[in-house]
Amino acid sequence: MAGRAGLACRPGRPGSSPARKRLKPLRTVVAWRGRAEWDQVMVGLYCGDSRLQQEALDRVSAWKSRYGPKMPLAVDCTAELIRCKVLDSSGRLKSHELILSYGLALVRFVNLITERKQKMVSIPLRQLAKEVDIPIWVVDLRHELTHGKLPRLALCRKGCDVVLDWLRKTYWSRQLGNNLCEESEDEEQQGVEASAELDNDAWEIQTPQHEACQKHKEFHEKVRDVLISYKNEQFRVMQTVQSVSKSRELWSDSSSEVDWILAQIKDLMQENREAVAEALLSDGFLIPKMDCLKMLNIKYEANKELWQFKIPQTFYCFWQPLLTGLLSRSFTQILIEKMFVELKECSDSSELRPQFLINWISEMLTGIAKVNAGKKRQQHCNKQVSVKELFLRKVPLQWIRLTDSCLEAPCWATPHLLQLILTIMRPRLPRSSRKNLLYLASVYTEGGGPLSSPGISSDCSEQPIYTIESLQWRARQENQVKNQAQTVEKQDDVLERDDGVEEVEEEEEEEMVTETNPLEGLAHSGNLAAIAEKRAALQGSAWQITADEVQWKDFPLGKLPGQTDDPDGLMLDNYSMMSLLDQPVRDEWKPPSTNSAELNIPATGGLLWTQNDFHKIKSGLQLF
Amino acid sequence: WRRRRRRRPRRGRAGRAAAAWRGGARRGARPAPPPPASRPPPPHAALPPQALTFTGKCRLRCLYGAVRLLGFAVASHQPGLPVFSPATHCALSLEALPAERPPAADLRQLRAARGLRAALSPLAEARVKVMARFSPECAVVLLEHLDTPVTRFLLSHPPLSRLFEPQVRAGGAVCPPRPAPSQTGLAQSESIFVFPAEDEGVPVVLVCGPKNTGKSTFNRYLINLLLNRLPSIEYMECDIGQTEFTPPGCVSLSNVTEPILGPPFTHQQMPCKMVYYGQTSCEQDTERYLDVVKYVFSSYKKEVPLVINTMGWVKGEGLLLLIDIIRLLSPSHIVQMDVYDWKAMAPLTPEYVHLSPGLYTKGKQQAKCKQVGASEVENWRSSEGEGDASAPEYKLLYVHPEFPRAGIAGEARVHSSILRDMSILGYLGQLQSPDIGAVLPLHSLVPYQVPFSAVALRVIHSDVAPTNIMYAVNASWVGLCRIPDEIKCESEGPVLLTQTPVCDCLGFGIVRGVEMERKLYHILTPVPPENLRQVNCLLLGNISIPNCILVGQQGVEGEIPYVTSDYNYSILGSGKLKKKKHFKRREYAFECDYA
Repeated sequence: MAGRAGLACRPGRPGSSPARKRLKPLRTVVAWRGRAEWDQVMVGLYCGDSRLQQEALDRVSAWKSRYGPKMPLAVDCTAELIRCKVLDSSGRLKSHELILSYGLALVRFVNLITERKQKMVSIPLRQLAKEVDIPIWVVDLRHELTHGKLPRLALCRKGCDVVLDWLRKTYWSRQLGNNLCEESEDEEQQGVEASAELDNDAWEIQTPQHEACQKHKEFHEKVRDVLISYKNEQFRVMQTVQSVSKSRELWSDSSSEVDWILAQIKDLMQENREAVAEALLSDGFLIPKMDCLKMLNIKYEANKELWQFKIPQTFYCFWQPLLTGLLSRSFTQILIEKMFVELKECSDSSELRPQFLINWISEMLTGIAKVNAGKKRQQHCNKQVSVKELFLRKVPLQWIRLTDSCLEAPCWATPHLLQLILTIMRPRLPRSSRKNLLYLASVYTEGGGPLSSPGISSDCSEQPIYTIESLQWRARQENQVKNQAQTVEKQDDVLERDDGVEEVEEEEEEEMVTETNPLEGLAHSGNLAAIAEKRAALQGSAWQITADEVQWKDFPLGKLPGQTDDPDGLMLDNYSMMSLLDQPVRDEWKPPSTNSAELNIPATGGLLWTQNDFHKIKSGLQLF
Repeated sequence: WRRRRRRRPRRGRAGRAAAAWRGGARRGARPAPPPPASRPPPPHAALPPQALTFTGKCRLRCLYGAVRLLGFAVASHQPGLPVFSPATHCALSLEALPAERPPAADLRQLRAARGLRAALSPLAEARVKVMARFSPECAVVLLEHLDTPVTRFLLSHPPLSRLFEPQVRAGGAVCPPRPAPSQTGLAQSESIFVFPAEDEGVPVVLVCGPKNTGKSTFNRYLINLLLNRLPSIEYMECDIGQTEFTPPGCVSLSNVTEPILGPPFTHQQMPCKMVYYGQTSCEQDTERYLDVVKYVFSSYKKEVPLVINTMGWVKGEGLLLLIDIIRLLSPSHIVQMDVYDWKAMAPLTPEYVHLSPGLYTKGKQQAKCKQVGASEVENWRSSEGEGDASAPEYKLLYVHPEFPRAGIAGEARVHSSILRDMSILGYLGQLQSPDIGAVLPLHSLVPYQVPFSAVALRVIHSDVAPTNIMYAVNASWVGLCRIPDEIKCESEGPVLLTQTPVCDCLGFGIVRGVEMERKLYHILTPVPPENLRQVNCLLLGNISIPNCILVGQQGVEGEIPYVTSDYNYSILGSGKLKKKKHFKRREYAFECDYA
């Protein structure tokens, strides 16, 4: 059992395969610290030694406290039944008392487990039990216990064993196992998913997902059809002249056929821009297949540097008329963002895809730079007579978002792309921020594989490496710095120190840490004063602030430096009990269920309260 | 009807607020009490009958005229007020109030406003636009970008990241924000509570009613209304499931001096008196609940008006408990919210309360039956006005909420547990440093440490084997409390209390770790050190750390304790006990009755 703990995948770290990232299982909070604790309790409960069973039950009592009302039914039922067995083997109870204990545990098991399967119209227990493979005689035993004669102890014991076995087979040995992906158990799965959804974002209106998915598929097909017709048209043009260079010119003169196709796509774009962008980036269009390159007489260069961030000219001309027609302001934003997203995800596919994505982004950004710069445009036009521009008008984009997208898809080309973005971006980031960002990007991507290490892509989906907020904050800080000469030095110190730290950690290949570090470093220095203040305020008190230099950020809540995963690590060997003097003692009040009946009987003297109640209330009211 | 002129946030270039405001505005559906101006309103003016209902967050300043927001009148002398209108709650509505000043004063005011805005706004164009549509009766408000450490912290958790953005329907259309339900009629209540008859003393207003009838919104409105006239009021929270100023599970007494212009998570504050009950409902231990209520109420000095909020549990024992509470707190006014013509809950007239038994107190002997029926209502109507000397004296005011789905449990827009999580996050947001723009993850913060022997420990809601108690305490939410007793401990180990004390709670924290070798608790808490040094008792209740905090921990070494992706909920028995099944059926039938 213990060995399996090591094999379990580590949920805290992204897996290496991209497929895992897409089918990310729901991360949930449970009562056990880790798998070792779970295994220990399961083994303890089922071991048959009542001392070990009692220890496991004690642990389950802590789980129950952690879970509160969310305690898994199966764990609760198992614990109740095991408790009966422990009592039984202790020999302290007589058979009648044992029957009562076993009885309640069994009744609760049958009812609670089958109630989960109940529908709006109630279904007979027997039928439900049959569905989930609980022996019918256990259901009959429950019936006897609640409505009939109390059964004999032997039968209760047998029932308990059978049910415990059922729980082990259906719950304990399947849970936390490797059978996560097996078919779900019909409606319960959906119910759970819905409630999980509810927990996360209940105020979002839910859509019938399946239908939406189907619609999306159909739409995607539609766009593809039109795009294929565009491709066919361009190839047809090429065949008429039998020369690639000549066809370039022909392509650039728009034909009525191309205009018609363009109009169709624009129409589709009205409906769903995202999907059009998606289709354009699916294999065979802006990202060519090998056969397509061959037809266009383009040699594929495996060496990424050789293309110098340019799309092969023929291929560019092939798509330019379509793109120029489509690239409105909003669509440009969507397309480039989509490209970055694709770039992030395509580490595992052929070399063609990342290559073309990078080059298309680069081409588009350069195009935007030319158009947005205005004057320079003409010079460039003179140089490249045969190549038409992608953009005719200025395209102000949401640059901050693009920067984010770019940073979320780190690869060898990120510094180049980032530089393009930062140059075109209006309003510009402060010079120092740009410098630092570029520096960070190059440090980060240096020496990585074609798309750096696999871990990063899924990390980014949850936390951007370096958010714009932090940049803005840095910019704000720097504005303040201008006014306060004193702080300038401090700031520089911090920056320098951070840079130093980054270099060291880069070698350790701790990507996440490197990237978040500058911020935490700064935050830390800001907090030091506050911590010192708090420490002073706590002088002479039992409460203290740890003086040790601990890198708290490396340790999740519930774990301390040096703490192991030993499931017995938190066991106490001694403790003292303390009773309180000044607190109300409960026993003097009767439980409400028994005295409510009395209350309705008119009291003889018209007394509103009993003497006892009177004291109670008086003590509460004495202050006014 | 035109939209009010809106000013763009000045600094939020890429800020969330800018996005949230876009398209979020809608005219309010309900005209405010003052009569509309006789002239047709000029474009983009903010004339009295107009209202702006919005989603988002901002700092609100009234540059000219006056506006009312959830009952609170904002005039130009007020400093900027932080205003929060998240998608999880009813949207706030800004209503323009009629100008009360003479025209001459208006002109002066206008000049002042001009000067102010000239200083403020670099957008001369926008200023010209506003001035072009200016009329003396209108109100001009400035909405500035607002970013607080608390909101930053909340928004950093993925499930809440779109908290201040308008809801988007499946098709991509933006849902118009739903304004808070009816506020007409409430305006009159101002006179009732603010100007009590001289001999009556300060008003003590108890608000009660079933779930989802708008008690909280009413309370906020009432508090704001009172704060228009009074410098401060007190608020007693008896609804342990949905607390206003504290994390959930507490009964508390708070002094309120600032208007409430947002949901609870935006205004977590230290109450004057607080007891940690430790559960979100009191069904399991009503006795301790009453003890706690009594204890907290004893520190109310009757110097300023008190607003008491009660639980939405008004069926069966819940009603009996409410009657106990009424007897105990003897309010001067009871506001009863109800739907369905009192079928869910009888009208709590002084006579009715006088005669009915409570859960722990007895009614006067004439009480015929405990169960509340329609006949009782008849009885009440006929006997109204007949004074009984020994009956409790209070005025009963009742409110019929008419907003759609009022009173239907489970129809609230957000699940109550999410609201509780948000309060906790709002509370923990106080740990964020105000001068750092980025969010620091909780696990990166430096915790406090305290020896086992210095603080007593008690698990409120369940029996935990003492040897295993640290398994319950580790990475849990604890109330930091003070008991009068000295902590005596014979051994090095922790001190476990044998009963749950009713004691002052000074705040909350997360047990960040338990160090077994040095016998130390490590605790993260925003409680200031002056208060923390008094803490000598940790209470562990049924309230847990929001899942998003544990799941969202980034950049840590190894596995995250208590977080797994391997737990399969589709296996039979993996889920929790569902107790609502039967409830649902009955409510369904109930609804049909009214359809």
